[in-house]
Parts: sequence; C-alpha cells; structure tokens
Amino acid sequence: VTSGPAFRAAVLEHFRRPRNRGPLDAPTAQAEGANPLCGDRVRVQLRVEHGTVADARFTADACAICVASASVLTEHVRGKSIDHAAVVALDWVFAALEGEPPAGRRRCALLPLETLKRALAAANNGPVSRA
Amino acid sequence: MTPTLIRPDDPSLRDEPVVALATLVAATGSTSKRLGAKMIVGASGRLIGGVTIGGCVDAQVIEAADALVAGGAERRLLSISLDDDEAWEIGLTCGGTVDVLLQRVHPSNVDDPVMAAHRRAIELVDAGEGAVIVTPLDAGTVRTVAEPDAPTAAGDRVFLDRVAPPATLVIVGAGHIAMSLTALARELDLRTVIVDGRERYATRERFPAADEIRVGMPSEIVATIRPTPRVAVVLVAHDYKYDLPVLRALLRTPVGYLGMLGGKKRGAAVRELLRAEGFTDDEIARIHSPIGLDLGGRAPAEVALAIVAEIVAVRYGKRA
Repeated sequence: VTSGPAFRAAVLEHFRRPRNRGPLDAPTAQAEGANPLCGDRVRVQLRVEHGTVADARFTADACAICVASASVLTEHVRGKSIDHAAVVALDWVFAALEGEPPAGRRRCALLPLETLKRALAAANNGPVSRA
Repeated sequence: MTPTLIRPDDPSLRDEPVVALATLVAATGSTSKRLGAKMIVGASGRLIGGVTIGGCVDAQVIEAADALVAGGAERRLLSISLDDDEAWEIGLTCGGTVDVLLQRVHPSNVDDPVMAAHRRAIELVDAGEGAVIVTPLDAGTVRTVAEPDAPTAAGDRVFLDRVAPPATLVIVGAGHIAMSLTALARELDLRTVIVDGRERYATRERFPAADEIRVGMPSEIVATIRPTPRVAVVLVAHDYKYDLPVLRALLRTPVGYLGMLGGKKRGAAVRELLRAEGFTDDEIARIHSPIGLDLGGRAPAEVALAIVAEIVAVRYGKRA
C-alpha cells in the first residue's frame, strides 16, 4: 500500500471534514503530543466510563495527515474497552486511510496514535496526563 | 523610542537623581509629533526622546530643562514661537507656536508626584486599561485616573495625557521573518508575542527582544490574547497547519490586523477552505495575504519591513 490517490482522497476528506475535532467536555483522560521539528501538535481527550471509551475527541494544529490520523483513530476507539482500544497500531491507521504516507511523513500519522495511547494509559492510571 | 512613562526601574535613569520631563502640551500650526510627546533631560546631559522631530525647538527645551534641573523650580511652561524657516526645518511646516511643559522629577523618589502619577498609569496600562495623566499647567498636583474617569468639564488649565496599553504584535511562526519583525516592532513600541508549536524555534536565544514567547497549540494561545483592535496578528510560519486554526480562532474577533505569509494562489486556497467552513466574504476579506506592502524585497528583514509598514498603514486608516 502506498500514498496513492485513494490515500490522498481519504486524507483530504478527513482534513476537510474531521470527525471528533474540538475539545471534549469533562474528559477523564487526555494527552498532548508534538512533533518538535515540523510543529504538528495534537491533543486527544477521552471520556472513559466503566473501562469503556464513551467518547473521544481531538484538537490539532497539524498537517492534513496528522489530522486525518487523529480523525480515524478517535472514531475507532469510541465504544471500545481501554485494553481493546490500546492495541490499535499504525498499520490500522494506514488501512483506514487506504494507504501510507511517504516515508518522511510517517511521523505525522504516528503522532496521534502515540498521543492516543498515552491518553488511554492515563485513563487506566486515573489522572489526566499532559505531555 | 519615545518615552511614554517614566518607569522607576528604568536602568537608564539609575544614575539620574533628578531629571526634567518635557511634554509637548499645545501647538498651533501642524506638528509632526503628537501632543504628549516627551523628552527626558538628565542632569548628566542624558537625552531620551524628543518633543519635536527636528532640533531647534528641542535645543531650546534642553536649555530650559538644564536650568530647571540646576535650579529649584518644580515646573515651567515654555511657549516657543516658530518662524517659517525654523518650522520648515523641524517639520512644523505652518509655523505657529508650541507649548512645552517642563517638570522636575526625581525618578527614584517614590513620593515624587510625577513618579506617583506615572506609577499609577503603569499599573493601569499593565492591566490592559487606558490611563489619563491629569497635569495642571498652572498650579496643582499631577494625578492619574482610569480613562473612563478622565475629567471632561473645562476648568483650570490642565493637560490630559492619554496613555493606552501598548499595541501588540502577535507573531505566529518563529522563523527568520519573525526575528526581524521582533526587532522592528521594538522600534515602533509594539509589544511582541512569539507563538509557535516548536520549542526549538521559539527560544529566548533566538528572540532576545520579544516581550513574550509562548510554545503550544498556536490557535489556543492566540485565543487567550484579548483580541482588541490594538492587536495585530501575523502568520509567518508559512504552514497551513497553523494558518488555518489561527484564522478560525480570530476571524470573528475585533483583532486589528490579520496577515498571512504566502502568495496569491496559496491565499486563495486558504480563503476557499475557510469559505467552505462557513466564514463569510467580509470575514475572509480581513486577511491580508499576500502580507505586507509591496516593497519588492524578498529577504526576511525586507519582508518584515513590508509587514510592519502595512500594519502601520492599517492602523492609521491608509489603504494597504
């Protein structure tokens, strides 16, 4: 799978119409991450109830690939148990976006994934976490 | 820079037990400086600021200020007549007169009435409020009031010196243009705030003159800044990842200037995206892009100069 037309179309669709963008009221866990050189910044907020992700939203000043990754990931984890949600991997993100970014842009897709996992870990630990 | 207020901790006045504060309080003809322009004349000969653009009137003021500092008088109101030749030389092209109030000030004395008035003005301005220094021209004690409380009724001759909170330049994107912008802004008495998501870029080492450096989500940072007409925001990261979120955060606020680095094609694409998100044509028209007056230069300092030139033009209602 490569960064072909399907990938570009999926990324643009999620960038123009991101799912779950914006702050979450009363999150029970959150994490923020940044790519230090390109400047992508993303925050993932979760509301976990009885071990299940009841809601997930993200805020990002980030590129299209990063926004698209955060968009599909927050869709994916809603309704899942914390443990089930935490097994999501980068390959799943690429499958959801119907392709892979160029090698130099993989970290753009990776940032929301890592941030989500830290938010999920924080949900397990209790307190709200910030990077 | 022209002094607006005397700060008790001003290092340049540390060795000045007494200074004369000269303030332009009245003028006939057209002046090239606004009323309220100030000059500080120290006993050591130190000069800070000026009450006119040129030298002739300032020279007369300095001479009188020296006498005030050396003598015991607390104040003196100078009325200086200008003939046409002098007026031309110093930018007062219509001749006329200027009135300059000289006040004896002890910068390190907390009981000095002028220092007390300036201290109060600094408190108000630092809190984001306008202040008015009320200075009797004949006799009486100088005082400072919040702008809404400024006297309006005619009575004794007073000079009302309005001091506004400093205009602010918010620079999103801590690159080379931002570095030049910060230096130029300082000359224009603009308070500068550097905003970036990258800690390695937005550093004190790179921006020694910046008033504030903030690292984080740029759209959230700008949303915390009171978006008054005295705030200009420039997007010089040249990256849509910051441009779009910051524009979304500010287009519906009364911020005074919004500029975005980039060519016409890029500007059109950003406008189209914002239009698709529901922003109106009037809101989108507030974006100055390509940013800056067209001075022709491409070097970072030249681009920065074009940007501050446009900000000044917009501030004074000139078509940019």
